[in-house]
Amino acid sequence: MPQYMILLRNDGDPFSRLSPEEAQRTTEKYFAWRQKPFTVGGARLDHQGRVIRKQNGSVSVSDGPFSEGREVLGGYYAIEAANFDEAVKFALTNPHIDFGTIEVREVVPRPADK
Amino acid sequence: MTEQSSPVIVEHLFRRQAGRIISWLAGLLGPQHLQLAEDAAQEAMLRALESWSFHGVPEKPEAWLFRVAHNYAISVLRRDRKSGELSEVQDIKAGPASLDHPELDEQLRDDELRMVFMCCHPDLPENARVALGLQLVGGFSAGEIARVFLADERTIAQRLVRAKRQMREQQVPLSMPSELHDRLDSVLHVIYLMFSSGYAAHSGEELMRRDICMEALRLGQLVAGASLAAPRVDALVALMALQAARLPARTDASGDLVLLEEQDRNLWDDHLIGMGFYFFDRSIRGNEISGWHIQAAIAAEYAKAKTAHFICWQTILENFDHLMAVNPSPVVALNRAVVIMKVHGAEAALAEILPLEAHASMRGYYLLPAVKGRLLMELGRHAEAARAFHAALACDCSQPERRFLEKQLSLARASE
Repeated sequence: MPQYMILLRNDGDPFSRLSPEEAQRTTEKYFAWRQKPFTVGGARLDHQGRVIRKQNGSVSVSDGPFSEGREVLGGYYAIEAANFDEAVKFALTNPHIDFGTIEVREVVPRPADK
Repeated sequence: MTEQSSPVIVEHLFRRQAGRIISWLAGLLGPQHLQLAEDAAQEAMLRALESWSFHGVPEKPEAWLFRVAHNYAISVLRRDRKSGELSEVQDIKAGPASLDHPELDEQLRDDELRMVFMCCHPDLPENARVALGLQLVGGFSAGEIARVFLADERTIAQRLVRAKRQMREQQVPLSMPSELHDRLDSVLHVIYLMFSSGYAAHSGEELMRRDICMEALRLGQLVAGASLAAPRVDALVALMALQAARLPARTDASGDLVLLEEQDRNLWDDHLIGMGFYFFDRSIRGNEISGWHIQAAIAAEYAKAKTAHFICWQTILENFDHLMAVNPSPVVALNRAVVIMKVHGAEAALAEILPLEAHASMRGYYLLPAVKGRLLMELGRHAEAARAFHAALACDCSQPERRFLEKQLSLARASE
């Protein structure tokens, strides 16, 4: 079955304003989604990171990786779906919609050997 | 893999542990680090959200949260503190190692109790004490408190910030007071205010309001279980438990108010009624008779009656007479008037409430004209009753109360 990556982008720092009760409910919703039969993997990504770039021939490593105003990639899931439409349908039920944007990308399969 | 239908986390775990962590860390680090204790509790919740939402709940979730909060607090102190004070930090590092000890629960109860007394310090404004207790001990957010008080979130947040600044500047101690007697009364008063704010008939937020009632009840039990407890603490717990038992029956399916006599008693919470009578029995062991005792006795009288028909109004009236002797407030007098109607008729009750209209504290209080309207209806004076309900509607009241009054008003007009 085709695999899809569900990329969770955070809108700012969306969880810091949650009350303990809201944080618990949110945790439960994400975990319930992680347990869905179509979810085959996933993790949250730490906010901290390093960006490695080559500019004018020299490689630089900087803290980051995010420039101002860009949404932060906060986590991802790998899911299985029959097709793109179904993948989107699954993604629409993800609780992250209240905290940022959800991006669905198909994992391009390795071409069959002749 | 099957979808998990059972909740993965114990109900209200985060909220309960947030309050305990704040009380515990403030006890460990000192009240001057209250903000750090709050930040650490918040950080623990956020880390849990990030980790548990993908990996599930750890084996000992409470210990996990305490450890994360503790480590966070230590790392902030390490970063901020001058080296001279580091020894203190080393000392408290032993904290989380003791998390598995059996006496920890007792330690945490003491920490919470001290925090309750700190939040109820008489130097702090009364409306701030309730909010502080809900936030620091109960784990409720400013937004959640605002929704229950029907207040603006910013107003509540500012009230909390100001009160905490006052705590810092006046160095309000995080310890059990020496003048226990007076302070205990302040604590009981705040706990009951907390309970009442949840019990008040607001529209919506039904669950949150119930949670606040249950938190007040829990704090009452916490104080009742402490060595400082007096019989009046048991009486307060009894009162709250008996009233909380009626919560499921107080509104109908459309959110409209149901008067006590018309409530479906099958909906009353048996467990809470049992708890109420248990604490009521405890409260009458000593010689003390407080206002809480009398109010609990009234609530017990209602709870005892199998149906509304069997309510012993004579006994309730005697209790109200008693209550008037202890606490002669116009609100008590108004509630007593309703009982007088049951025992001596509406005419006598009306005579009781007319003097209350001159009371400054009764101005704008919807219940006075509402009760007056009810008595006038009883007497068949429908036009005057309509005027009274009209006056009640001009006062501040919640949506369910408003709908109730509008129903009464149209009834009065139809009978004119």
